Amino acid sequence: MILLQMMRWTSLLPVLIILSSLIPALLIFATPENAARRRTILNLGGIVIKLCLVLLMLLGVSQGLRFRFEVDFLPGASLVLQGDALSLQFVTLSSILWLATTIYAIGYLQKSQLKSRFFGYFSLCVSATVGIALSGNLITFLLFFELLTLATFPLVVHRGTDAALKAGRLYLVYTLSGGTLLLMGVALLHSITGTSDFVPGGYVSGAVEENRFALMAAFALMIVGLGVKAALFPLHGWLPRAMVAPAPVSALLHAVAVVKAGAFGIIRVVYDVFGVETGIALGLTPVLMLAAAFTILYGSIQALRQTDIKRRLAFSTVSQVSYITLGVAMAGPTAAIGAVVHLVHQGLMKITLFFCAGNMAETLGIHRIQEMDGLGKRMPLTMSAFTVGALGMIGVPPIAGFFSKWYLGLGALESGNDAMLAVLIGSSILNAMYFMPLIYRGWFAQPPTAGWPEDNFKKSRFETHWMMLLPPLFTALLSLLAGIFAGSLASPLGWTEFIISQEFAL
Amino acid sequence: MNDALLSLVTPLVAALIVLTGPAMTPRRASVVVLLGSAFSLAAALLALQTVTASGATQTLNLGGWEDGLAIRLRLSPLSALLLAFTALIHLLAGLYARFSRFASGDDFWVLSAFLHTALAALWLSADLFNLYITLELIGLAAVAMVALSGPKAYQAAADYLLLSLAASMIYLLGVVFLYSEYHTLDVMQLASVSADSARTRLALALITAGLMLKGALWPLHLWLPAAHAGAPAAVSALLSAVVVKGPLFILWLVWTEVAPADLAREVGPMVATAGMIALVAGGWAAMRSPYIKVLVAYSTVAQLGYALMALGLLMSWQIPQMHIALWLFVIAHGLAKASLFMAAGEMQGTLGTRRLTGLRGATQTVPIAMFAFAVAGGSLIGLPPSGGFLAKWVLLEPILSQPQNWPWAFGILLGTLVSAAYIFRVVVLAFDRATINPPDTRPHLMGHWLALLPALIVWGMALLGEQLIGLLAGGGV
Amino acid sequence: MSSLAANSIILYLLVAVALVMLGLYGLLVLKDPIRRLIAINIMGSGTFLTMIAFARRQDPPDPILHALVVTGLVVAISATAFALRLILAARESREAATSGSTEAEDE
Repeated sequence: MILLQMMRWTSLLPVLIILSSLIPALLIFATPENAARRRTILNLGGIVIKLCLVLLMLLGVSQGLRFRFEVDFLPGASLVLQGDALSLQFVTLSSILWLATTIYAIGYLQKSQLKSRFFGYFSLCVSATVGIALSGNLITFLLFFELLTLATFPLVVHRGTDAALKAGRLYLVYTLSGGTLLLMGVALLHSITGTSDFVPGGYVSGAVEENRFALMAAFALMIVGLGVKAALFPLHGWLPRAMVAPAPVSALLHAVAVVKAGAFGIIRVVYDVFGVETGIALGLTPVLMLAAAFTILYGSIQALRQTDIKRRLAFSTVSQVSYITLGVAMAGPTAAIGAVVHLVHQGLMKITLFFCAGNMAETLGIHRIQEMDGLGKRMPLTMSAFTVGALGMIGVPPIAGFFSKWYLGLGALESGNDAMLAVLIGSSILNAMYFMPLIYRGWFAQPPTAGWPEDNFKKSRFETHWMMLLPPLFTALLSLLAGIFAGSLASPLGWTEFIISQEFAL
Repeated sequence: MNDALLSLVTPLVAALIVLTGPAMTPRRASVVVLLGSAFSLAAALLALQTVTASGATQTLNLGGWEDGLAIRLRLSPLSALLLAFTALIHLLAGLYARFSRFASGDDFWVLSAFLHTALAALWLSADLFNLYITLELIGLAAVAMVALSGPKAYQAAADYLLLSLAASMIYLLGVVFLYSEYHTLDVMQLASVSADSARTRLALALITAGLMLKGALWPLHLWLPAAHAGAPAAVSALLSAVVVKGPLFILWLVWTEVAPADLAREVGPMVATAGMIALVAGGWAAMRSPYIKVLVAYSTVAQLGYALMALGLLMSWQIPQMHIALWLFVIAHGLAKASLFMAAGEMQGTLGTRRLTGLRGATQTVPIAMFAFAVAGGSLIGLPPSGGFLAKWVLLEPILSQPQNWPWAFGILLGTLVSAAYIFRVVVLAFDRATINPPDTRPHLMGHWLALLPALIVWGMALLGEQLIGLLAGGGV
Repeated sequence: MSSLAANSIILYLLVAVALVMLGLYGLLVLKDPIRRLIAINIMGSGTFLTMIAFARRQDPPDPILHALVVTGLVVAISATAFALRLILAARESREAATSGSTEAEDE
């Protein structure tokens, strides 16, 4: 059977997309520390190949082709990779942001050691993320989900200091416990309904009558397991602590890999395993909605209390990722569009903010919010990118974040959850309250007379190392473009409408 | 059957050649024994193929004696699988002992070949007295191998031997009581005549106690950490991977075939509970151990808890999934544990300390051995798609399908978390870059890679998942 | 040669059980390894006596049990010899360690 699949390029393509970062990862591990050029070629070569393959698949899916690869694994549960519209959304996001983050990381880590190990795990991490996106059923999803935990852990503890090890331990306690609960949930569901491919509308509706309680337990186990990575309150404790990792890792964790994997998993479980109708019938979605709403407000309030830039961004992630969960839980097509598109929009904006925060820290030694005074004069480009990202997070048009919130708000009204509209508005106000001071200080406050805490890259032609400057500008531009061209099919929003029309059979 | 006999005899011949051959240097001995293991593995795989193709269990009465008198050998798909597993572990441990820089002792070769023979005989025996003999042979060979690491291990070896002899005596007494009731020692004959009686219960209690002591099954496991941690790495690997599985096999044989089904159903929950406690208590002890190899040894106590749990649930529910889960655990644990012990041996040899704290910065000083440790540990935790995951999945499915069985699932959940805790306790230390413990000697890469090999095989087991499950499901016995 | 009366078989069995219990007790209580080894051998004698007693329940006596006892004895003797040597070696190594205690362990 495998041989037969090898003959068809549509089966092969999902595997190749994963291999295009997995093979470079293994080769990078074997690369000597000082062979910087070989490592860069491997990194960038893998990305270029992956982007081409993803483009090919995008074209294929929009033409109606089906991509599916299957190999035997457990009884009644094969390993399945498939490319549908939703998975492609996530794959494309990860691949593009991988490109940006890799370039950024090369610049960021230029003087540090153990680069082969770092980039090896970095590529492994992206392979796991892409695997999560392409998973065709829960078992495959679980496999890549655990692989992601293992691949990100060395990145979190990369610095190897006491603080890093502590954060790493905490990260493992949360994510491995979450993974175990997810496994229990998946196994429980498998024992009730078997494991079939993800399918719009879910596949459990037939078992609702007899196994009501068991299904609810399975849902709870899976959501809690996924909620750890998605930083759903009260499972978010690891996320702010993991900020000790190097900036590119934070960017990856918050925008592409870990947090998004959890959110993506929630989307899959609600839409493609249980199905919206079953979720409502079992009374599950309102609970999820309340949890998400609480997390949104809680994260925003916590963000407001932080004085460290990266920690404020971290709590902002806690809040923003729950928008996705909220949109999913509202169980209506419009809210769903808001949720799925926010997966992309939040990624673009948040990664911009983290790149910028990293630039400030590396270039001028700025870690705290007060230290940002007058930054715009020394680093105008970084500050501009930061402003775009922050305004987007608040929801200022025409930046991408506005459209997420617009659809979420409409969805709240449409599904009769008016209270959620209040949550969204309240959260936006809080967003403004915790981002505006940063923007204000950066542009309008006077630079410190005593000089910056550090001042690196003075000899550089730009305000900082060009490999660290380009990525935030690129992603900021993308968040602008995603908003400006929101109406076209090639934009995240357009593609999302295509996905949701399939999910809800509109 | 002939293939299986060949698999049994090859290591014996190798041992005899090593003992009697002229000018037998350790180097030559290693070649002979490694060839023997490889040949034995090939023969076992052939036997596995024929016995699964024919689908029937084959028996052989040695010397042509009639049933009841003869030493009867029996080849089932399971025993063929265990033959292959044993040969594979011996091959892997042998390769490691041959190429690692840390000596396993010159007599390793002949002893490991004897151990291999005795284990093969155990898998093939279907007679309770014969099983006693194989148990004693295994015990003697294992004790001698513990003593290979030199005078400082003699005390642990002597303690191990005394316990092992006492355990055999208790087992033998139980066997005698069974014989006095049924006038046969043949497992298949016993299966057809056994009934629930006071004497049968006493006999089974004695047999169980003896075997649990031998197999270091909770709560009779206290001797294991000293013996397994004291031996040379290659020997520890053999002890944990295969030797403790021998008594487990007999326990399984006695409770699924000899014991009356109703009695087994009654005792099953107790056995499973012991397994659950083993999982948590062993894991807890591993989590608190300050020494690398003691940690790994306690992890064996914990992991045997999974097997005990599967056995207990097999006894009480009598469903084939538990049989599959039990043997998948045995195989997955064996491979992973071999890797863990070899990696631990390499690391403590290279870093010059037996303490866990010496592993600070091990990802930089001994990266490959540390990676082997982590990968093998992943299978013990049961991360997909490793062999440990496969076994756990098969164990979980029947438990989860009935809500009244969910408490058992909670035990597995706890076990998983505890395993993760003690494995990652080591892994986190290894990522320390602030206070790196510098190695005493340059890392010997060959040994590190060989330590990684069994771990890779156990992760590869996932690819064979369906075949293995089908194989174990096909032959119930 | 007739089979023994049921009473005397029970007597033998009682003695055998007493021996096993005695051995087990010794094994649990004693600390000295050689004494523990002797305790194990007493347990073994009890076990073998049980076998002989059961063998005499029929006429002629059950040959299989006798054969088993002979085999068991061989195993027990070999194991005892091995254990004795090992115990002595352990004692020697311990004594060597205590006499040369100036060279401390590396831990």
